[in-house]
Amino acid sequence: MAILSIEHSDRLFWLGRYCERVYTTIKEFAIRFDSMIELKDEDYNEYCIEQDIPNIYTSKEDFIKRYCFDETDTNSIFSNLIRAYDNAVVLREEIGSETLAYVQLAVYAMNKAKTSEAPLVYLQKVVDNIVAFWGMADDDIDSECVRSMLKLGKRVERIDLYARMKMEKAELQREMKRLSKRINRTGIRYSTMKLAHLNYIMEMDEIPTDLVVEEIESLFDVRVNEDVVGL
Amino acid sequence: MKEEELYRYSDTVNELLARYGVKFGIYKNGIFKEQLFPFDMIPRKIGKDEFNYLEKGLKQRVMALNEFIKDIYGDKKIIRDKVVPEEFVYMGSGYLAQCEGVTPPNGIYTHISGIDLVQAKDGEWYILEDNLRIPSGASYPMIARDICRRSSPATFKNNSICDNRNYAKLLRKTMDYVNAGGHTVILSPGRYNAAYFEHSYLAEQTGAHLVTGNEIVVENDNLYFIDYSGRKERVGAVYRRISDEYLDPMNFNPESVIGIPHIYDIYRKGNVALINAPGNGVADDKGIYYFVPKMIKYYLDEEPILNNAPTYLPFYEKDMEYVLEHFDDLVLKDVAEAGGYGVVFGNSMTKDEKEKFIGMLKAEPRRFIAQEVIDFLDIDICDEGKVVPRKADLRAFVLMADEPMVWRSGLTRFSRNPDSFIVNSSQGGGFKDTWVLEE
Amino acid sequence: MRKLKFQYRMQLSFSKPVNRHHFTLRCFPKDSERQQIENQEVKIEPSYDGGDKTDSFGNLCKYGVVEKEHSEFVVNVTGTVCVNGSQFQPVYEKHKVGMFRYHTALTKKGPTIENIYNKCKDKDLSTENFPYIPGISDADNIKNIENNEGSIEVIRRAYYFMNVVHDCLEYAPGITQVNTTAEEAATLGSGVCQDYSHIMLSLLRMEHIPCRYVAGMMMGEGASHAWVEVCDGEKWVAFDPTNNCMVDDSYICISNGRDAKDCTINQGYFYGLPEQVQEIHVLVENVEDEYTNI
Repeated sequence: MAILSIEHSDRLFWLGRYCERVYTTIKEFAIRFDSMIELKDEDYNEYCIEQDIPNIYTSKEDFIKRYCFDETDTNSIFSNLIRAYDNAVVLREEIGSETLAYVQLAVYAMNKAKTSEAPLVYLQKVVDNIVAFWGMADDDIDSECVRSMLKLGKRVERIDLYARMKMEKAELQREMKRLSKRINRTGIRYSTMKLAHLNYIMEMDEIPTDLVVEEIESLFDVRVNEDVVGL
Repeated sequence: MKEEELYRYSDTVNELLARYGVKFGIYKNGIFKEQLFPFDMIPRKIGKDEFNYLEKGLKQRVMALNEFIKDIYGDKKIIRDKVVPEEFVYMGSGYLAQCEGVTPPNGIYTHISGIDLVQAKDGEWYILEDNLRIPSGASYPMIARDICRRSSPATFKNNSICDNRNYAKLLRKTMDYVNAGGHTVILSPGRYNAAYFEHSYLAEQTGAHLVTGNEIVVENDNLYFIDYSGRKERVGAVYRRISDEYLDPMNFNPESVIGIPHIYDIYRKGNVALINAPGNGVADDKGIYYFVPKMIKYYLDEEPILNNAPTYLPFYEKDMEYVLEHFDDLVLKDVAEAGGYGVVFGNSMTKDEKEKFIGMLKAEPRRFIAQEVIDFLDIDICDEGKVVPRKADLRAFVLMADEPMVWRSGLTRFSRNPDSFIVNSSQGGGFKDTWVLEE
Repeated sequence: MRKLKFQYRMQLSFSKPVNRHHFTLRCFPKDSERQQIENQEVKIEPSYDGGDKTDSFGNLCKYGVVEKEHSEFVVNVTGTVCVNGSQFQPVYEKHKVGMFRYHTALTKKGPTIENIYNKCKDKDLSTENFPYIPGISDADNIKNIENNEGSIEVIRRAYYFMNVVHDCLEYAPGITQVNTTAEEAATLGSGVCQDYSHIMLSLLRMEHIPCRYVAGMMMGEGASHAWVEVCDGEKWVAFDPTNNCMVDDSYICISNGRDAKDCTINQGYFYGLPEQVQEIHVLVENVEDEYTNI
């Protein structure tokens, strides 16, 4: 029988979130990088606002170097990948060596991208490994609870990121559906009120994305006297 | 196929070792770093008959050590009969008064022993050290073998090598045999421990749950794992990879924040098994090492099959005389140190150092042992593309369930420095797989 | 034989509430050849989850955890004890007293104790130079040290060391702490019963005489007490270096060990960072007195 401690369930959730964050931010970055190559120099300012990260960067070059690869910049993609690794490395027994290996390989690929002249090529390898991570997780992890916890992190993070980036309504709604389906499979405690509220605001003509971010971030803050699902 | 040809696969193998994060952690200037454990492709090979002989000797040795620990924390017959002087027991750092009168499940103390051996140039094997606390290292040849098999299947088809995939099974059997009812967990101090890779790998391979101290609690005189949904699951066996002093702040070091309060109290009542038993350190002290052959005779009434390296105890006057006379030919070891520290060669000291050392020796004769320097049989390693001879030892793993079991493999550690005898990974050593041949 | 009534009260007060408070208590007198316990009552507040155990030195303990928040932790032990006239605890397995022959971190000698020892180690302890020791048999008292039959030599040596320790320390509460070593106390020149006992243990262990620390209570009102027992080969003989006398039937033993650490009365481990104050109150009276008072 699979048993999972609070700490490890928390780590699974965050492993899912950070893998997703790395994946989606690389994809988003790639689009910006492409346009920054010869077109708009200042595009990163906008990106920082969207991502809700402090714009500490002095130039386009500085942004590319530090936002992607600086481990000491807590908002960098690399920092997020290291957070994913820090969670993964203590979950070997839950996710298995094979799945864990892809996070390890993503870290190696990131280190290579850092020293490369064409970072996009190696960032693609990071993305490849994250995709492989999800594939292996799906295939190799027996425990549904473990899989669901990982994916719940992914779903939550995706909505959070998409809302921040003000993605199209249809995209957000699709992600919201996937989350609603997933959340009850984990047995994790969450606020049914907040979930209902999220579903409600997703149907509004103009989705208030700030509110989505707020609600999704507090979905698991369950107060004792509130209606809770799970056990 | 010639062994050297194995080096062709070095890159593939190293890539796979990196892929699976086969690392150990070290602290350098207070910063935690993970390092890949340097692996050398040429295995150490041990013939079938030779290993059978080692196996017999290792089983005998571990049986005697287990009896010794049981006796020390119980009847103390070996002290009464003056086979082991009591000061070596009570003044050793491994003796824990808290263990007096406590009998572990099935009377097993030494569930997992790592016995270090060396082979001399004349082929003779010597026991160098018994590690009975929390010996580590089995995971490295386990995964290395797995990776080598993948990289060069032909090698394993064409050589008849004893399968070493069974370590996880042996370990599981060992843990299940003493389980007091409930789940089995591996207790790790956390990922910033030098052997964290091993903890997590063994958990995966044995199907035990890897936990840290804050995930299990004592309640109603039982140990429980608390599920994320709040459900409590009883734990019956803890393979703990944290040392005795940090295990339980209520019974050992009160400063410990990684332990589980009261776990020792319920162990005392037989409600949980601790693997290995606390207090084992009393038997792997370097001073006690001298007495192991005597223990074998005393408890088992048998002649020791495997020899100690010739050892002298300056504690005995006759031995002190010998040590002073042959000082330059001997290696001196501080009994309180481990991990390759506190080891000095008589002939490497300056005149002043020697005088100072002899002063210490005379003031605290119990603190040191002296050994003849064994002429190690060098084994080949590949260093920057060149095959060169280096010093190496063998850590054999003996597990104890209803009977002692010797893993037909082992961790061969070598020194990368041509002039050094020190093979410890914490001091830059590397490792090899150990093949036990089927014929 | 004497019948004693005792009350032992320990109160821990925290400046801020704590929770998940784990504890081990070692403050329960137990039956032995020298004392028999009658109707002992134990009250521990707040309520807790835990159990009882006998530790490796044979001391009775209660342990457990108070999960909920609390600012006070109170232990109250009351009962009556019959203490025998003979103060000796027989030793049945002599080869097992070895562990009491060796120093611990708390009894380890340093220059001050070494100095004390050097001054007194050659003292002539033959009968004519030695006072009559109260509390041991006349036969033991007149036995000549020269024929070296064991027991009396050790007892005289211990008695003499007790005198020395008593003279080298001034009784002064509040200067030393629970983790003060024998050497530190000897250097300070002052201390309490624990320090007297540790220094005496230190001197005895320099001669490889097996000796142990005893925590307990003595007649009167005040704090808990500590003294020393010495093994003469056949029995444990008790000395009180703080009062410079042999232990008699007005003492109640609680626990014994190699030093005060083995006899820790209350060990705690909790979550929260409060200031804490421990108050111990002990009352030991003759049961007969109670009747005369009425």
